[in-house]
Amino acid sequence: MAVGVLIALGESLSPGTYTDVRFTWLHLPAPPPGHPGAFPNGFSLVMGTLVDPLSALMLVVVTVVGFLVMLYSIEYMRKERGLPRYYAELSLFLAAMNGLVLADNLLEFFLFWELVGLCSYFLIGFHYERPAAASAAKEAFLVTRVGDVMFLLGIFLYFAVYGAKGPGLGWAASGFLFVQGNHAFLAGVPAGNPTLLTVAGIMILGGAAGKSAQFPLDVWLPDAMEGPTTVSALIHAATMVAAGVYLLAVTSVFLGFTAFDSLLIVALGGITTFFAATMAVVQPDIKRVIAYSTISQLGYMVLAVGAGFTMVGLYHLFTHAFFKALLFLAAGAVIHAVGTQDLFRMGGLRKRMPLTAAAFAIGGLALAGIPPFAGFWSKDDLLAGVYSTLGSHPAYWPFFLLAFATVFLTGYYIFRAWFLAFSGEPRDPSLHAGHEGPWEMTVPLVILSALAVVAGLFVYLPGFQALLLHGGGVAGIPPVYGTTQLLLSAVGVSLAGGGILVAWALWGSGRIVPTPSAAPAAGMRRVLLARYGIKSAYDWLGATGVYTVARAADFFDRFVIDGAVHGFERAFGDLSERMRRIQTGLVSDYASYVVGGLLVVAALLLVVAPYLVGRFGGG
Amino acid sequence: MLPLVPIVLASLLAGTVATFLAGRWARWVALATSAVFLAEVGGMFLSYSGWPGYNAQSVPGFAESVSYPWIRLPWMQVNFTVGVDGISLVLILLTAILQIATVVYSWKETKNPAAYFGLVSLTCLGSFGVFVALDVLLFFLFWEAVLVPMFFLIGVWRGPRRRYAALKFFVYTHVASIVMLVGLLATVFYSGATSLDFSAVAAAAPGLSPVVQTFLFLALFFGFAVKFPIVPFHTWLPDAHVEAPTGGSVLLAGLLLKLGGYGLIRWAVEVLPAGFLHDRPIVFAAAFVSIAWGSVVSLAQRDLKRMVAFSSINHMGIVLLAIGLDSSLGLLAAVLLMFAHGIVSALLFMSAGTVHHTFGTRDIPAIGGITPATPALATMIMAGALASLGLPALIGFPAEFTALLATWNGLGYLVLLPLGILVVTAAFYIWMMQRMLFGPPRGVPLGIHDVPWWEGVGMGLLVAVTVLFGILPGLLVNVITSSPVKGFPGT
Amino acid sequence: MTALPLGGFLALSSALLGVGLFGILTRRNFVLLLIAIEIAMNAAILNFVYFAAFAPVPALGLTGQEIAVVLIGFAATEVAVGLAIVLALHRLRGSINVAQATDLNG
Repeated sequence: MAVGVLIALGESLSPGTYTDVRFTWLHLPAPPPGHPGAFPNGFSLVMGTLVDPLSALMLVVVTVVGFLVMLYSIEYMRKERGLPRYYAELSLFLAAMNGLVLADNLLEFFLFWELVGLCSYFLIGFHYERPAAASAAKEAFLVTRVGDVMFLLGIFLYFAVYGAKGPGLGWAASGFLFVQGNHAFLAGVPAGNPTLLTVAGIMILGGAAGKSAQFPLDVWLPDAMEGPTTVSALIHAATMVAAGVYLLAVTSVFLGFTAFDSLLIVALGGITTFFAATMAVVQPDIKRVIAYSTISQLGYMVLAVGAGFTMVGLYHLFTHAFFKALLFLAAGAVIHAVGTQDLFRMGGLRKRMPLTAAAFAIGGLALAGIPPFAGFWSKDDLLAGVYSTLGSHPAYWPFFLLAFATVFLTGYYIFRAWFLAFSGEPRDPSLHAGHEGPWEMTVPLVILSALAVVAGLFVYLPGFQALLLHGGGVAGIPPVYGTTQLLLSAVGVSLAGGGILVAWALWGSGRIVPTPSAAPAAGMRRVLLARYGIKSAYDWLGATGVYTVARAADFFDRFVIDGAVHGFERAFGDLSERMRRIQTGLVSDYASYVVGGLLVVAALLLVVAPYLVGRFGGG
Repeated sequence: MLPLVPIVLASLLAGTVATFLAGRWARWVALATSAVFLAEVGGMFLSYSGWPGYNAQSVPGFAESVSYPWIRLPWMQVNFTVGVDGISLVLILLTAILQIATVVYSWKETKNPAAYFGLVSLTCLGSFGVFVALDVLLFFLFWEAVLVPMFFLIGVWRGPRRRYAALKFFVYTHVASIVMLVGLLATVFYSGATSLDFSAVAAAAPGLSPVVQTFLFLALFFGFAVKFPIVPFHTWLPDAHVEAPTGGSVLLAGLLLKLGGYGLIRWAVEVLPAGFLHDRPIVFAAAFVSIAWGSVVSLAQRDLKRMVAFSSINHMGIVLLAIGLDSSLGLLAAVLLMFAHGIVSALLFMSAGTVHHTFGTRDIPAIGGITPATPALATMIMAGALASLGLPALIGFPAEFTALLATWNGLGYLVLLPLGILVVTAAFYIWMMQRMLFGPPRGVPLGIHDVPWWEGVGMGLLVAVTVLFGILPGLLVNVITSSPVKGFPGT
Repeated sequence: MTALPLGGFLALSSALLGVGLFGILTRRNFVLLLIAIEIAMNAAILNFVYFAAFAPVPALGLTGQEIAVVLIGFAATEVAVGLAIVLALHRLRGSINVAQATDLNG
């Protein structure tokens, strides 16, 4: 952590781009003359480090949250088996994420990206003996794999478009680096084939959608709650899902998106923000509520990057990391204390766990965007930024409205969870009585609470502001507050406050409001709990669709292809059975075959061959 | 200069003969033989690997090339010519690694150990010969010499249908060999080469008319492709793997399949360039079908070994695709992928063998949750599966990445098929791991032991190689790109 | 030498071959069978001698006669082996009728 913060501090004091030694990982020399290939000057794949404002910002997030989660784990995981494995995987997870953040080219980025995915696979499946955990791990790996494959194709497309371009021997020969010296390598390079670039952008977006659980690749994230809560905190705040947004940010800064891609990104972000929030509204599981809130918030960041407010998106990622880690660790403290994740069985925990209740409330206020908590500043800046583009991009309107409406839902669902868990009286006497955890658990909560309060104001610190200002896509930094923005803020805050009030009205008493089963609300609730059926559709596709095809192919392989082989075998067997009969064992029969053969050869030589030679000419 | 390659050949030959005769000391003799072999090959490899750095020492032409007159006819000169280039050196290194890993893994083989270890050594000897032979006759001799020990390895030791499988293997590969021999000899005679040396044939054959080359290339392609194997000539492979002992499976997947790839690169693509260009659609079709078929059929397999066998068809399909691209990047990818697949499939077959004799079955649905009882075995399976599905930091990743990049450069959006299949490949490995390794224990008898030390050492060696070259693929790449094959700067 | 027409010699050896083949195909007695084989073989040996005599290059002509001598030696060996088989067959079955010796039928 210390190193990460130091690097970030250094960056904030003198913003710029620093690269360190890199080594050639794989090098294909230029082919000799006369053998043109796609890379006439050869190509190199390198491993190196690149520190720039973007990565410095991410480093702080990764290292600080990582450190606090580690500290928290000491108590939270104390009774688990397989702790060496847990800490090894957690460390590898952080190392991979740092590697990704510091990568100086797309391939290295991808390499660590895959390692991040692998570690999340291991950690989600930490309780591998539970079938649900093993299944969730598989799902996370495969869904993100779909995204990874798209990302890979995106890399190919960028390599193809820009490989021969750039100064010197070209981008390919020098290792596909993001920057050369202090300049973006491709700056000043005339843009390539627009169609290819658009497809490349879509593919990168697909990769980011897989990792950051954007619609429709969002199914794995709620199921990933099968992992330990600490892992969830890490995945949601600092590592796995942040990687997708970071990829979009890096791509938009160094490679750029076409206009169509930007619209697509905005659309994806807006849709995801809204739909994830609707699914959070009815969740009975405390961790899943927070999980859906993550998807929703990631949607905001994607929206911002798409609309051109890259640094604002990362700024939201920065504040979000702290309050989301806080929410998860607070939820973890609750689960640790009462032994269930079911909101409807909790209740009244406020009295026994005042610190946790306060921490969760701070996290909730930050998430809902109530000033002066962290989430307010970044989300407000983000929405104001997107609003300012609506004039030039009217197509962004529906997605802006979706994102804006989500503010209300956010306030509602997170405080529904708070009221259910902490207010009223305990509902289920069979549960453990709650209690606060030891210092290893409370210290991270306190630190994160403090950060969740003040992190939003960091943007007004000169050093931090300078850091943000030296990234690419700096529109919206620092936030300006004109009449429009203030009006937007007021509307946003009142929406969020309205959501909280509705939550209080419905759940504030701590009583469960019975949902009338016949009402349209019940039908809606079923749809939302079934996640709009997307999960079932994937399950059907995997378990029924693909597997049926595989079974059919296997059947074909065994009985048609191999059957043909055996058919050959039988045909030859039959033939030899028949041929066998002429072996009578009688010497004179054999002699007559010899004579017959002699006659045939003689006929060939004396009759057929002269005829052929006469007909077609000799040679 | 010392004739290095003949010396290695002689030491391997002496070791093999000694192993057959050594009786109950056979495993020690085999271990010594393979250790000497690995040391020799490793030394040779290191002396040519200029890594790190851009300007690796390039080896112009074939290194260590020696030629002795062998058979002299008035119209044809047959020499005993051997030599290595980067491509064969990488594959020889693979041979040496697999030999020692197999010997150590099979340390406690009880059924006729002298014959077992002798046949293992003989298989490696034959493969080594194929990789160094630079003469048609020598090449064919070694090519056929591999079939015999493999026939016995499959047909004598393990499974209930072993005779059937061995015969099927032999008939398939032998028919392919004959077609290949006819193709090679026809190439030699039509081209008017007066020597069976590779250099003479490779110099004369490209002068043949494209039409003739087209047919000759088809014959050679068929001969090599059955070894790959390509769909639909692949059904010998799963059967052979299922019935073979673990050592046989390891050598079959790790070495024999590579012979096809090496033969195609050296003796078909290089020798008949015009025919190759003309027949490329057939090569691509075979590659695409094999890639898709191998992966999709793997998904439906219950037997762990059968599943890995079909995944081999998928991976070798990618090798074929990369060779077909006719670019230096594709060739690099093909050789890397052959090395990677050799190591990784060997690891997977070893872990399948250990699963079989630990749990008494390889049926994936029949066992589950084995990780608490056998953590080391589970780790090995996981390492193999993850390397095979192309995870970074393991050897599969640089190979698959370069292969797919080359495919994109050569064929454009057709790369979507192998890319999409990557997801299916990931799916069957991940699903297998979910069913076998995770979840509550099922079909795990009490009191079983984890991986015995000798099997652990054998597999551990392969894991180490997987990680080493996964992190530093440059070691291999610099050797490969120094080859005197078109497109590489060695030419 | 050259006065003798080649056609006549060839007719002679062809006739000998025909007689031999006829014998081989029709005889059931092993000894007679051996004699028929000898006759057919002698037809071939005769051919070597004729062609050697008519060869355009005398130096090459010698080769045919050498082969004829070698073949005569072969024929003697073959008869020895054949008679040994006859003896063995007789001891085994008490008959030398080849029609009864069909152990090799498939």
